[in-house]
Amino acid sequence: MATWDRSSRKLPQVAEPAMEGEPQVPMGRELSEANRFAYAALCGISLSQLFPEPEQSAFCTEFMTGLVKWLELPEAVLPTMSAFASGLGGEGADVFAQILLKDPILKDDPLVITQDLLSFSLKDGRYDARARVLICHMTSLLQVPLGELDLLEETFLESLKEIKEEESEMAEASRKKKENRRKWKRYLLIGLATVGGGTVIGVTGGLAAPLVAAGAATIIGSAGAAALGSVAGIAVMTSLFGAAGAGLTGYKMKKRVGAIEEFTFLPLTEGKQLHITIVITGWLASGKYRTFGAPWAALARSREQYCLAWEARYLMELGNALETILSGLASMAAQEALKYTMLSGIVAALTWPASLLTVANVIDNPWGVCLHRSAEVGKHLAHILLSRQQGQRPVTLIGFSLGARVIYFCLQEMAQEKDCQGIVEDAVLLGAPVEGDAKHWEPFRKVVSGRIINGYCRGDWLLSFVYRTSSVQLHVAGLQPVLLQDRRVENVDLSSVVSGHLDYAKQMDVILKAVGIHTKPGWEEKGLLLASSSLPQEEPHEAAAASSSDKTSDQDGQIQDPAPRDTPKVATSSDSGQAQVPTGLDQSEGASLPAVAASPAERPQICSHGGSPNPLGCPNCASKTQESCPGLD
Amino acid sequence: MDEDVLTTLKILIIGESGVGKSSLLLRFTDDTFDPELAATIGVDFKVKTISVDGNKAKLAIWDTAGQERFRTLTPSYYRGAQGVILVYDVTRRDTFVKLDNWLNELETYCTRNDIVNMLVGNKIDKENREVDRKEGLKFARKHSMLFIEASAKTCDGVQCAFEELVEKIIQTPGLWESENQNKGVKLSHREEGHGGACGACYSEPSRRRIKGFD
Repeated sequence: MATWDRSSRKLPQVAEPAMEGEPQVPMGRELSEANRFAYAALCGISLSQLFPEPEQSAFCTEFMTGLVKWLELPEAVLPTMSAFASGLGGEGADVFAQILLKDPILKDDPLVITQDLLSFSLKDGRYDARARVLICHMTSLLQVPLGELDLLEETFLESLKEIKEEESEMAEASRKKKENRRKWKRYLLIGLATVGGGTVIGVTGGLAAPLVAAGAATIIGSAGAAALGSVAGIAVMTSLFGAAGAGLTGYKMKKRVGAIEEFTFLPLTEGKQLHITIVITGWLASGKYRTFGAPWAALARSREQYCLAWEARYLMELGNALETILSGLASMAAQEALKYTMLSGIVAALTWPASLLTVANVIDNPWGVCLHRSAEVGKHLAHILLSRQQGQRPVTLIGFSLGARVIYFCLQEMAQEKDCQGIVEDAVLLGAPVEGDAKHWEPFRKVVSGRIINGYCRGDWLLSFVYRTSSVQLHVAGLQPVLLQDRRVENVDLSSVVSGHLDYAKQMDVILKAVGIHTKPGWEEKGLLLASSSLPQEEPHEAAAASSSDKTSDQDGQIQDPAPRDTPKVATSSDSGQAQVPTGLDQSEGASLPAVAASPAERPQICSHGGSPNPLGCPNCASKTQESCPGLD
Repeated sequence: MDEDVLTTLKILIIGESGVGKSSLLLRFTDDTFDPELAATIGVDFKVKTISVDGNKAKLAIWDTAGQERFRTLTPSYYRGAQGVILVYDVTRRDTFVKLDNWLNELETYCTRNDIVNMLVGNKIDKENREVDRKEGLKFARKHSMLFIEASAKTCDGVQCAFEELVEKIIQTPGLWESENQNKGVKLSHREEGHGGACGACYSEPSRRRIKGFD
């Protein structure tokens, strides 16, 4: 497994991006016809297994039709592929997989098919969440670690960027095309994600047309061939990332929507990626967890992560109330008793201690407000996602407590729309104060392409208490599994990790691990370190960080290639201003190209400018971290 | 109409390249014949519902490619098949000789042993016959298979081949019942001793199991 050399594949694109007159054929077509057939058939079977719902059949058929063309298979195989995609012949899947695994080209480089599928999926400038789920599935069928896919996506992103640079250079060289260049630049600027604002995207058509008119196809053809065949890079880029550029961060709520007072996206990372993650915090506490981003410090789902900042005022009020209850008014013994009553499963018989009920008014008001607001925010988020402000790429939503409630209502709202499919990849709801009846979750199957994770804690008495008015008669998702029979739904019992509702923020790194979301490697021990100190130290522990980089990449479990391991070392030692985090550049990040590998601002919200009461993170830091990657070039 | 379908059967067509597997299927499903039919890529798939003894059966027919380069793919289709049609060309002895290889493959990859096999000698409309009908019959008996000679071009025996195969599968309840227990449709009374409808068929149940017939 550890034999193939990634650098050899990447170098040609990096070192000599312009391989003029020598457009490379996407690697999938190099396979023999029989193996291309097996490849397509395996895709068809996988699609039918992943998306058996009738409403998805149009996507499956379209995907297979496109793939047959892409692989230059004769059209005669279409009926067969449709049969595979509609669920017939599934018993042959493992044979197809074995055939492919025996293929000499794949033996040489098992990533060929992943790479090919990726370029196929991106060719129209859209990255459908379902396509990504399929690629993940295929990747695992072909026994390639999923980290490789992340890496591949980064490589693609890099080559897309290069295409853009290449294009502007080419245009400069040619005086004839000066006219065009101005046009180019305009579109480039849009594509470069520098303009903010809430322009509606999804503009493959709108953007591609002028580019083609400018004779761009030829230019792109030669340079972009290395990665994308004949795909028009800019159009792809722009469409993927949204013409609004920063996309989500550029999003401004134009007018007050409904009852929402605050709704902004804060970047958690500096990088760009072909898929993004949006996290939603459930409340704002005091101290370390007073910012929206704080609980998510360990999250490494993608290199482009956003945190939704919403209704800070009320969430802070709520957080304070929650803490008040915990710290003062309910004794430790009472808490334990409550927890065990909950765990024993006699929720209905639970009588709340008088001491709790007397302080109920402290919490009930902010809770009620937030409960209401979270639903509104969720609906608003749904419309943002539906209008593709984030670009045409898959989104993963993660939220705890009321943040999970935001996701719940977001999914619910999306499910009512026609074009809701293929946007959301995974949805992770942790300790969600929402209805846990399967029938309410059923519509989510349409919206979510990958996994729907319900992380619950049976002993979460606080959730049960604050949600008590409804929790007696209803099933609460945050307290018990959602019994929906679907491959997407995963119920994770977090009872052993979460001992109280407030732990969702404090133990997020462990929770994320438990539900199978990628976290920064080596975080757990450092997380403890951090937790023990009141505020994160800012002095760079260079030696420690550097020495641990080896260790962490081992823990990553995806050690394929020793070569790129050097990169994180460089990054860590030169990366001041982030004490513990640097090793957070995980294997895939570390191996990527330096330009982006820096990705320095994992945690703009935890900063030395502490004491700033601004719950939205420290603005000083955001700017500082951008410059904090010297020595990388 | 799906409600009165008794069961869905998976049928597989195998045999050397160019013996007319796809032509047989095309004749059966679409009742057409194309002398210039292109070689099959990977596998072809067709569905057809037929009625045998008043029972409707939906046939999912997988027509494999005979060409050597697609040979690696064939094992994936054997799984779950209830009937196999093994085709040879009566005008090409080599396709008959190679039947042994196909039977070996069948034995290797088939997941069940009560699968119903049928041997079809195709292209009997042609003059230059190299394999005698008796030889085919003998081979079929030896390996307990059904046997028929057919011509996709003249439509001779094609329908019969599929019908006979399906009938045989339906008579072997263990083959298909397990997957369809919940459908609630049961065969009432099964007549004994049919097969006379089609003169070319060899389907005497008592003799099917004879091993080592000389």
